[in-house]
Amino acid sequence: MTFPANPTSASAVVGQRLRLVSGPGAAALLKGLTMPVILVAFATYLVVGIVTMRVPEGTAFPGPQFFPGIIAAGLYIFAAVLAVGAIREIRATPDALTAEIEAARAEAAGEEPPAKPVRVDIRSFAWVVVSFLAFAFLLEFLGWIIAAGLLFWCVARAFGATRWLMSLVVGLTLSSLAYIGFDMALGMPLPSGILGGF
Amino acid sequence: MDVLTLLGEGFAGALTPANLLWVLIGCLLGTAVGVLPGLGSSMAVALLLPVTFSLDPTAAFIMFAGVYFGGLFGDSTMGILMNTPGQASAIASTFEGHKMALNGRAAQALATAAIGAFIGGMVASVVVVFVAPALADFSSRFGPAEFFALAVFAFAATSSVVADSAIKGLTSLFIGLGIAVIGIDGVSGAPRFTLDSPNLFDGISLVTVTVAILALGEVIYVACLERHMTNKALIKPTGRPWLSRRELKEAAPAWLRGTAIGLPFGVVPAGGSEIPTFLAYGLEKRLDKRRKNPMFGKGAIRGLAAPEAAGNSTTGMAMGALLALGLPISATAAIMLAAFRQYGLQPGPLLFDRAPDLVWALLASFFIAMVVLLILNLPFAMLWAKLLLIPRPYLYAGITVFCGLGIYATSGSTFDLVMLLGIGLLGFLMRALDFPLAPLIIGMVLGPLAETSLRDAAMSTNGDFTVLVHGPISITLYALLAAVLVFSIRSKIVAGKRAEAEDKELVDA
Repeated sequence: MTFPANPTSASAVVGQRLRLVSGPGAAALLKGLTMPVILVAFATYLVVGIVTMRVPEGTAFPGPQFFPGIIAAGLYIFAAVLAVGAIREIRATPDALTAEIEAARAEAAGEEPPAKPVRVDIRSFAWVVVSFLAFAFLLEFLGWIIAAGLLFWCVARAFGATRWLMSLVVGLTLSSLAYIGFDMALGMPLPSGILGGF
Repeated sequence: MDVLTLLGEGFAGALTPANLLWVLIGCLLGTAVGVLPGLGSSMAVALLLPVTFSLDPTAAFIMFAGVYFGGLFGDSTMGILMNTPGQASAIASTFEGHKMALNGRAAQALATAAIGAFIGGMVASVVVVFVAPALADFSSRFGPAEFFALAVFAFAATSSVVADSAIKGLTSLFIGLGIAVIGIDGVSGAPRFTLDSPNLFDGISLVTVTVAILALGEVIYVACLERHMTNKALIKPTGRPWLSRRELKEAAPAWLRGTAIGLPFGVVPAGGSEIPTFLAYGLEKRLDKRRKNPMFGKGAIRGLAAPEAAGNSTTGMAMGALLALGLPISATAAIMLAAFRQYGLQPGPLLFDRAPDLVWALLASFFIAMVVLLILNLPFAMLWAKLLLIPRPYLYAGITVFCGLGIYATSGSTFDLVMLLGIGLLGFLMRALDFPLAPLIIGMVLGPLAETSLRDAAMSTNGDFTVLVHGPISITLYALLAAVLVFSIRSKIVAGKRAEAEDKELVDA
């Protein structure tokens, strides 16, 4: 019995077992080494910060550098272990034919089918990420209502909404309602942007 | 003062019209996110966190508690009707629950789940009312060394017990600890890892991290999978939505056993209610095999009743552990701990002395929430299933807009929005590569406590770290931790051997 790692994630709750996979060779290497690279980068950032830190005089041991030092060391160790594990896994990956035979065998034996492997949908990914980045920088200029409406439209598109006019109307309605509810009623400041001139 | 008098005062505080409204809103929201597959109560609490800053603390926590419990009431609905659990805590209930629905007993299955959740939550709330003050009294003897031991206990348990791979759990934990050290050091006043940018002097806000990891990262992840998903058929329940006397008799022992299994897990930081639900399911299955005609596999009412009760009793106890010890056992509880801090309250021994109004009103609101949730879920389960009519693109687009709203409204800066996206991408990567997220959140929330108590303890003895294992309380905590680790390693080895043996059988055959 295994427990899903992330209680809220779709892989655990959408009912279908989907598993993100990558192609063989360079793509697999990229997938396996992404996390170690991020960990090393973050640990190095911490180390640089520890070395250049201006510690006030008279600070007793253990000072402000002590705890971050442990964290940085831990991150380097985990990065190394994960990288070694990833490279081993790539070497041990069965070729396509073996994998197919294996799957057929599992099915014949009446086992639960393994998670269906799917690839990252790069177009949807880009729509969400790029539109959120644009939202972050354009929010103050465009104002909440327009910027949030456009963000809604872009994300809905990324999720495969086809009726674009409809989602634009829904998005603008939602952003206007949020503006009324949060800015006017609850007093949380949201930018009015170019609409503020009217 | 007598516990019952205090609880009575709590009810007086919780039964005001305004607070009743917040209970209701919390329960409605919690049930909604519980019912909708792909949304969970941790995401809902994270998204609500920035919005609640304009409320008074009692109202905010009453609402959070409603969401937390509501998620556990709602999550089994879709599991039963569509074989799609609403969140991970309902996976164990889905096995037998959906089979009951396939046999035309969907309405009874929904009732069994709702009553089970109600019993589990009620019993746990009663236990909390009597145990929490004693626990808080006990923890008032904690010094820095004991708090450090408590934090280490939480770190080790969340990152190694829940996660399939301990190394991934620990990685996630250390990323969280690393994010938490950014900002001005509370002990010495030295700015740390800020690149001299005023944006980072206060550190990276916990609100930004939780919203990014639990909500935006989830949206990006689902966006990448959305086109591969197919919709399944929904079973329409017919017939009486209540249980006959025979069914009640059948389910009652399972409800009680499930509750008993769930209770202790409320104080063990093992990631929340997933593990106890599976344990309760497993126990019922083993007991069922000994009966004359085993029901499991054909829609056993006990296989649904036990995990539902276990999930809610764990959550109830978890709230007790959070209030009395300041110990969060799951991501949702960790966010609530962060919310307490935002209001300048520190859960733990002093909370019961300093803010008794809040604590007892919150405890009283648990009982109210259970009743409200039973009413919301028992007769209206089909109405909740209608939530599936919301087109998924709009649902996720709305969540994205809400992420931006919460972060911008609390910080007012573009910098935080970009940080939100950056950490959201990290959350996406961790999901895609199967790293657990709860250790990151717990590391971020408890990291500062661990660091300050470690340094306070060591400084008081001029840098002698043996002070950490001097007191009887901290030694007990480390012994408990060792026991938990041995248990989890043993069960992993047993599971591994069993899988190996099965493999061999297949090869031989």
